[in-house]
Amino acid sequence: MSTAIARHRQAHTAGEPVIEVSGLHAHYGQRQILFGVDLIVKRGEILVIMGGSGSGKSTLLRHLVGLEQPTAGTIKLLGQDLHDLPPLEAMALRRQMGVAFQGGALFSSLSVAENIKLPLREHVRLDEKTMDIMARLKLEVVNLAGFGDLMPSELSGGMLKRAAVARAIVMDPKLVFFDEPSAGLDPVVSSALDNLILRLREAMGITIVVVTHEVESAFKIADRIAILDQGRVLAVDSVKAIRSSRNQRIQNLLNRVAEEEQIEPAEYLRRLTGTPATPDHASI
Amino acid sequence: MFESVGRGTARALDEVGFAASLFGQSAFWFALGSRRRQPVRAGTIFAQMVQIGSGALPIATLLSATIGIMLAIQSIETLRLFGAESFAYIGIGLSITREFSPLIMGILLAGRSGSAIAARLSTMTINQEVDALRVIGISPVRFLVAPSLIAMLLVLPALTMWANLVGLGAAGLFVSASLDLSFAAFVTDTIRILTANDLLQGLGKSFLFALLIVLIGVVNGASVKGGAEGVGAATTRAVVQGIAAIIVTDMIFALLIAL
Repeated sequence: MSTAIARHRQAHTAGEPVIEVSGLHAHYGQRQILFGVDLIVKRGEILVIMGGSGSGKSTLLRHLVGLEQPTAGTIKLLGQDLHDLPPLEAMALRRQMGVAFQGGALFSSLSVAENIKLPLREHVRLDEKTMDIMARLKLEVVNLAGFGDLMPSELSGGMLKRAAVARAIVMDPKLVFFDEPSAGLDPVVSSALDNLILRLREAMGITIVVVTHEVESAFKIADRIAILDQGRVLAVDSVKAIRSSRNQRIQNLLNRVAEEEQIEPAEYLRRLTGTPATPDHASI
Repeated sequence: MFESVGRGTARALDEVGFAASLFGQSAFWFALGSRRRQPVRAGTIFAQMVQIGSGALPIATLLSATIGIMLAIQSIETLRLFGAESFAYIGIGLSITREFSPLIMGILLAGRSGSAIAARLSTMTINQEVDALRVIGISPVRFLVAPSLIAMLLVLPALTMWANLVGLGAAGLFVSASLDLSFAAFVTDTIRILTANDLLQGLGKSFLFALLIVLIGVVNGASVKGGAEGVGAATTRAVVQGIAAIIVTDMIFALLIAL
């Protein structure tokens, strides 16, 4: 990594807290998922939350974006607690954040451009032409220029995710959340999405929280990584520190996932189809 | 066994509570949404009305004509035993306006639109579209439920009136043909015995049925579990519960009126 970027990251990570989570306990029904999570996300940084399945990372994200109410503890976004605010102020806070869901979660009955315009339509009074221009600009940011008239069902998985990013940033938010951006994508598309996340931070100074289980992607984009394990934060540190951590559970997590990714193409094909990758010429 | 009965009861109560809260919230958004800068949009309501109503019109016409003729056949047959077949119009007029039009139209829309509402909502829930709405700051009740509810409350009574017209017309044609009466005579007779009260009874029921169809569809759609199979299960439940609720409510309504 060049020193200029390193310095840039340094400057960003020195920012004030944008998200403050303290003592967060969460339940689904009777089952406790999170046990007293404390976490701080600083202005302008990319924080990656990592953990295996069942670690509670999705639950943590749902709490961060205000979809669930904590059993105990507080979550402050930009200094305010979403659950304590009166409706209109909660709405104003929501306008400052965007969420890119795992499968895109575009509204299937609306075209891509209409999807992107929906937050504008609901939150601000703009004429149709201005909204068109804004939608087109955001589509250009995510490299989907010219795809606005298509329906979500006509897009590929990677395009859906990028369109969802365009919708998440259309209100020029200060804070954007990504849920498993690489899930279900091939390495090339996944890497392009990582670049998009980095570009958003560089160009728009957005604070970004990414939940993922992909080690490679996490190392590439993160300023800091928070490791979640069995509902507790195991460590929050720089990529370098996490990589060289002596903690056995962290190493297990990093290595297990890494092993899964380093499958030989032939082996991958074999697992995928259940047939030998090398065709049996003798049988032809 | 007791445990499963208990759990079933708790779940049913939960769902009734959820339905009541959905109704309350829909009413809230309809009345006060624009003050919160979140109006229930007329365009969405209209689109829903077209979807619910226009598609159902041909089959609604066919069904109500069939019911009218069927009633005419049975009434003439039974009354002939007493030589009173010329009074067939009384039974036909009252049962079509009070019972059959709202009931058949209710069942039709429970099958057509109740299932569509459940399927749409459960798919949206699974695809996290409902989460996306909430994160954007749009109340899903205001955006998805209220328009369907209002549209259904307008369309089902309108369809019921249409069914009255078609059903009585078809019955009239059959009666006048088989009893050698003029159609005009059937019409005057029917108008003479029908009171506004009879029509209002039918309309009142159709309002109630509209409420049941949408709320049952939404409750089942929103509480979907699992993936694609979940959508199928939610849709089936919505239709079965919707039709059952309509028939039971109809009976209770008739009982209360009779008392």
